[in-house]
Amino acid sequence: MDQPRIGVYVCACGTNIAKVVDCDAVVRAAEGLPGVAVATTYKYMCSTPGQEMIVADIEEKKLDRVVVASCSPRMHELTFRKAVKKASMNQYYLQMANIREHCSWVHGDGVEATQKAIGLVRAAVKRVAFHEPLESRMVAMCPNTLVLGGGIAGLTAALELADAGYQVYLVEKADHLGGNLARVDLTAPHLDSARDLLRERIHRVMGHPHVEPFLGAEVQSLEGYVGNFTATVAVPGGNGAGPAAAEGDDGPTDGGGATRSPRTLEVGSVIVATGYREFDASRITHFGYGKLPNVITSFEFERMVREGRIETVEGRQPQYVAILHCVGSRSQEFHAYCSRVCCMTALKYAHELKSAVPGCYVSDVYIDMHAFGKGCEDFYRRSSEVKTLFLMYGKNDYPVIRKAEPGDDCGMLIEVSEQLSGELIEIPADLVILMVGMEAREDSAEVARLVGISQDKDGWFIESHPKLDPVATTTEGVFIAGTCAAPKDIPDSVAQARAAAARILGKIARGSIEVDAVFAEIDEEACSGCRICNELCPYSAIEYKADEKRSRVISALCKACGACVAACPSGAIRARHFTDEQIFAEIVGVLA
Amino acid sequence: MGGRKLQIALYWGAGCGGCDVAVLDTNEFILDVAALADIRLWPIAVDGKYRDVEEMADGELDLTLFNGAVRNSENEHIARLLRRKSRLLVAFGSCAHMGGIPGLANLATKEEIYDRAYLHNPSIEPGNTTVPLAQTSVNGYSLELPRFYQRVFKLDDVVDVDYYLPGCPPAADQVRAVLEVIVSGVLPPKGSVVGAGDRGLCDECTRTKAEKKIKEFRRPWQIMADPEACLLEQGILCAGPATRSGCGARCPTSSIPCRGCYGPMPGVVDQGAKLLSAVTSVIDSKDPDEIDAILAGLPDFTGYAYRFSLPASLLQRSVRS
Repeated sequence: MDQPRIGVYVCACGTNIAKVVDCDAVVRAAEGLPGVAVATTYKYMCSTPGQEMIVADIEEKKLDRVVVASCSPRMHELTFRKAVKKASMNQYYLQMANIREHCSWVHGDGVEATQKAIGLVRAAVKRVAFHEPLESRMVAMCPNTLVLGGGIAGLTAALELADAGYQVYLVEKADHLGGNLARVDLTAPHLDSARDLLRERIHRVMGHPHVEPFLGAEVQSLEGYVGNFTATVAVPGGNGAGPAAAEGDDGPTDGGGATRSPRTLEVGSVIVATGYREFDASRITHFGYGKLPNVITSFEFERMVREGRIETVEGRQPQYVAILHCVGSRSQEFHAYCSRVCCMTALKYAHELKSAVPGCYVSDVYIDMHAFGKGCEDFYRRSSEVKTLFLMYGKNDYPVIRKAEPGDDCGMLIEVSEQLSGELIEIPADLVILMVGMEAREDSAEVARLVGISQDKDGWFIESHPKLDPVATTTEGVFIAGTCAAPKDIPDSVAQARAAAARILGKIARGSIEVDAVFAEIDEEACSGCRICNELCPYSAIEYKADEKRSRVISALCKACGACVAACPSGAIRARHFTDEQIFAEIVGVLA
Repeated sequence: MGGRKLQIALYWGAGCGGCDVAVLDTNEFILDVAALADIRLWPIAVDGKYRDVEEMADGELDLTLFNGAVRNSENEHIARLLRRKSRLLVAFGSCAHMGGIPGLANLATKEEIYDRAYLHNPSIEPGNTTVPLAQTSVNGYSLELPRFYQRVFKLDDVVDVDYYLPGCPPAADQVRAVLEVIVSGVLPPKGSVVGAGDRGLCDECTRTKAEKKIKEFRRPWQIMADPEACLLEQGILCAGPATRSGCGARCPTSSIPCRGCYGPMPGVVDQGAKLLSAVTSVIDSKDPDEIDAILAGLPDFTGYAYRFSLPASLLQRSVRS
């Protein structure tokens, strides 16, 4: 190999890196390394001037390799790949050294952090010399989409895609569409009917020529990769399409006993819109939910409102109603996060109560009133004017609900350590509404595993980037929308659903998709057919050809995890961009 | 070779002598060799003195087959001498190739070996503290022994090697094939491993391979192995997947797991690490305690996985004393 001409770019990341790592010292060290033609530092390498500097150097200084020492490649590898590509350099001639997350953010000692940064740069310089030019592959994009979940997000996404003329398969676990929104009466802050929001959408989905809904159905498996997934969906009773139906083998259709037959669907993209479940209020013993019959959850109250009868279990109209916020949310014990929609829903209840039960007293027991969002602050102001008593309680200082004494003129008493007055206040209540928060569904881990996406500590699905890529996931072709990603309200869920649909329409419009050129390949001349690798692949990308006694990687299925590469005892499996010589060079560099 | 008889030498370094026997195992072919070649040095079979070799012109020998590792100064001296005198030097057998069984001594330091062999050993008389010394004086005469090195070297650690003929010992038919090639004068590229295949042993092994999942490791004597199925799948640690073919898979065919004597596949840096990574990849458990219990069925994994290749591995040797 000829001596490469390597450019080394050390990013200060504002002060993120430079406040700990001596970037000039890293540059000086890099300048002395064999093959390094230029080394420099800049405030923000990822900025347009930073990228242009690399492009100009490649052209003017005839560089053939680039090392960027900056943040994690997860953050900006694609940015810099695009930059070198702009200068007509193969994008895989780039190597990044992570001197932010691995150095400045985790070390306090500037001298040692700088030494480590120099070591990482040395490793990257050594490695990049062994990089090979790789070409990304183009694969066909199947225009069909699988949508998981028939709530407001799933319905919206399905219609967006179907209206554009593309086939959608909508899989809903329940036997009806609408999700959690179907359990709600009016919506905050404009007091529109949830039924009106849903009815039209459900109606259109059921009759749409490009939507095939599967109710009471579940996805059993998802295989393949972006543009080319194969999903197996268990559909109840055969649905006329499956082979089971032909035999008239209907079986019992009640509850879980329904027979299901699998349908195989070819799809190019997946939208996960599986929603949330409400917090189980009985977990907070202070509130007596499940023991005190007139302590109900927000969803139970919604049902009362929908049925048009707001009354206690004794059948009386409540005179005193208390609404208790943050049940399960914003608590150290349960969920630390805010469930976002409950404050406005609580205000909505105050309105509904005041109009349905004139003369009743409503107390709103809250921690903080979160009224962000269009029209919400105004809604809060209007609610304050309808004579609702607002009482503030402290985080983790739960109000206590108990049964009243026979002499009291109410069913229950709530003891609140009121924050604004600083006093312990007791308020009467005939009906207590617990604003239960949102939490990840019980089957979210299973869904995550099925479609190959990750969950955060609370069980919500993780987006590709929280700000810049909120509906994509780290699995290409799998998108998330609505409350399965985090608590959110209807407008946000709808926006995400449409965003996910737009992302997919963009891919469909291009007709084919670029797949990373990094994958494992088996040298069939070296493979001994020992079959060690066969069971290891988490993506089922390895096939064994019994007639030739050789294993083979189906490159389009390979996600380049490297499990087979490490395991292959013959050294016959090679991971592109992670070859032994590249890794050994990196080790030599870091240890030098 | 210009009609002239081939001038050859065979030498025995730190080894067991099995390689010399492997040459004899070519049976009557050895007579053809004798007819084609002048055997100028072969300590085990032919009379000859080091002095004779020292007196040769450089490059006078056409070929030296060097078996055994380099353990002491004598091994190194003769290796250097034969290198100088030979046009072609072949590392013959696992020990010259990778360090071999003697190379396992690199798991201990020289001091530990001396302590174990000469000082604290059940067969040593109490109070006997005799250890080999490079120089000693007896009745006014100075006597010299080769120096025992801190570690075992493979042959190419000390001299340039033209070819490697692996095996413990090399299979007789491969020895014969290699000698025939050398006689023909049509030589493979320098540095080649000769007399072996380019794939893993599994390619030659006739046992049926299925997808591998190991729930328990067993020693060969603990079970009656299924004669058809892959030994590794039966829990018997077989180094075949991480070992070059070429021997004819005679061990696994005889229900004895491969021990790895033919060394790693081309391009593989560390045979033992490869075997470790392959075998542990197919352990059929995700429970850490269960995995520990399964791995406990592999006593002395280092000794097994690096049985022939420790000095040639990334580990090379123990440096603790």
